[in-house]
Amino acid sequence: MIMTGQPALFRQTAFQGMAALVLDVGFFTSQFRLCDKIAEYLGDLVAQSHDDPARYANFSASLINEVIELAFRSVHSGDRVEFNLLKGDDSVYLRVGFRCSEEQLALLRTVDRSRGSTPFPEPARDLMALAHAVGVDVHTEIDRDDHITLTLEFVLSEGPR
Amino acid sequence: MNRISSSFSAEFDETNQEIVLSGKMRPQSPREMTGVIDVIQRSLDGSGRIIYLNVKRLTHLNMTAFNALADLLKIACRADPLRTIKVVTSSVIPWSAPLFETLASKEPNLSVDIYDSAFYPGQTFVEDESFIPILRTQTKMTWRHERDILPRHGLRDGLAVADICCGIGDFATLIRREFNPTRLVALDHSKKSLDYARRVAAEFGLNSIEYTYGDASQMLLADGQFDFVTCRHSLQIFDRPDVLLRELYRICKPGGRVYITNEKNSHCLGEPHAESIRWTYEQVAKLFSHFDMDVEMGPKSRRLLNDAGFDDIKVESFMVTNLDGDPRDFADIIEAWENVYAGQMAVRRGDPPEFIRRFRQGFKDHVLAALHPKGYAGWPIWAASGRKPY
Repeated sequence: MIMTGQPALFRQTAFQGMAALVLDVGFFTSQFRLCDKIAEYLGDLVAQSHDDPARYANFSASLINEVIELAFRSVHSGDRVEFNLLKGDDSVYLRVGFRCSEEQLALLRTVDRSRGSTPFPEPARDLMALAHAVGVDVHTEIDRDDHITLTLEFVLSEGPR
Repeated sequence: MNRISSSFSAEFDETNQEIVLSGKMRPQSPREMTGVIDVIQRSLDGSGRIIYLNVKRLTHLNMTAFNALADLLKIACRADPLRTIKVVTSSVIPWSAPLFETLASKEPNLSVDIYDSAFYPGQTFVEDESFIPILRTQTKMTWRHERDILPRHGLRDGLAVADICCGIGDFATLIRREFNPTRLVALDHSKKSLDYARRVAAEFGLNSIEYTYGDASQMLLADGQFDFVTCRHSLQIFDRPDVLLRELYRICKPGGRVYITNEKNSHCLGEPHAESIRWTYEQVAKLFSHFDMDVEMGPKSRRLLNDAGFDDIKVESFMVTNLDGDPRDFADIIEAWENVYAGQMAVRRGDPPEFIRRFRQGFKDHVLAALHPKGYAGWPIWAASGRKPY
């Protein structure tokens, strides 16, 4: 399921912060394997309170990896990618924020307009296709002229049993 | 045909017309998929009317890899509409079936089968729910010995422990109580057994055991996580124990130890009626061998651990007997063996009634030996461990 951006939903005071990570893109983009490692690490954190943490970590990391790869392919040298894990009552939210070009931003904006439809536009096509297949909500917020935040919502009572 | 990369592989089994993908497939670009694509392409070119793409052991897949596979499969489907391509996956990998189903929905001659059996040869016998009470009794009897044996193999308080092929989780519960691990993961491929394990753990207030549904030969657990990994009575029922040992080695920390137990069924013994009992258990070994399982594995533990790359290998054996606690417990175990081995496995092998009658008699004599006031009945088990080198 794909949902449109709801910036007001993510006032961080409404949620409990679980983890925050900021990566320098210069280092990040030269090390593709970091996508994998960060995805696994964050997936483990997301899955902590699930009743099958190992499987849920694999499930969540598959999506987190796509968000990270999207950021990896989109960011400018010298920029940063910000990761925030927030816990709500029933869900864990992963927010990934990064700056990207006007062209990419324009394409990512269309994600919001293409709610529930396929094919999804580049560059978010892969992420959205996977999220759609496995039933995870993705929120997009274009919060500044050149900055986007993608949020994955993991409902802990759903997903693999 | 075979291609192995650092983290993923593709193999074609011509006999079964099956392409098997396994490992962690997260390339940065489709170019890294060239070897795998080549294997799949050549397999498709030489295939018959049905070909299987088995992704049950593909634990990670990014969309770069998925798109490369999807493009190839779409082309193959359209090039030969009369050929059926079946993607075989399992419910162990949570994203796998939904993702491949999106592809299958667009190609009429592509389908997805969720296939949760045949992870190991004896799965249908071992995961039978009626076996649960007897598994509990078995663990109760072996624990009397293993509680003392485990420290000699390096288990102590405060370690990160994984119990692989945990069954109904009773051994993990005992480990939790006796050795107070910092982390305890218990993995099995039977959802029913895991449900039972979670219920029992909840009843005892043990909420820190992480039960996980998984395939022991391709686990979702990360590398080098555990100080002590146990795998009891399970290598012997896998047709590829080397594959399972490779996974146990992978999740073990350098300097940590992997502990295994296995039997040698033909050495089960009893008095009186020693000859009848000996004959029956020799037949048990042959019966398991017929189903590609090796219940004679116990004394081979040293070689298996050595071949898997472990050092500082320790091996010892112990005999569970009717003198360990209540003899009725041992008799119950033997009767359960008779029900499964003679009642199910021999029947499935197609053994004649006369053979089955004699086969059953050995179990009955073993029960008699266990319950006889002057009798003696034994079940030998080998406990072995190896250290993962630094």
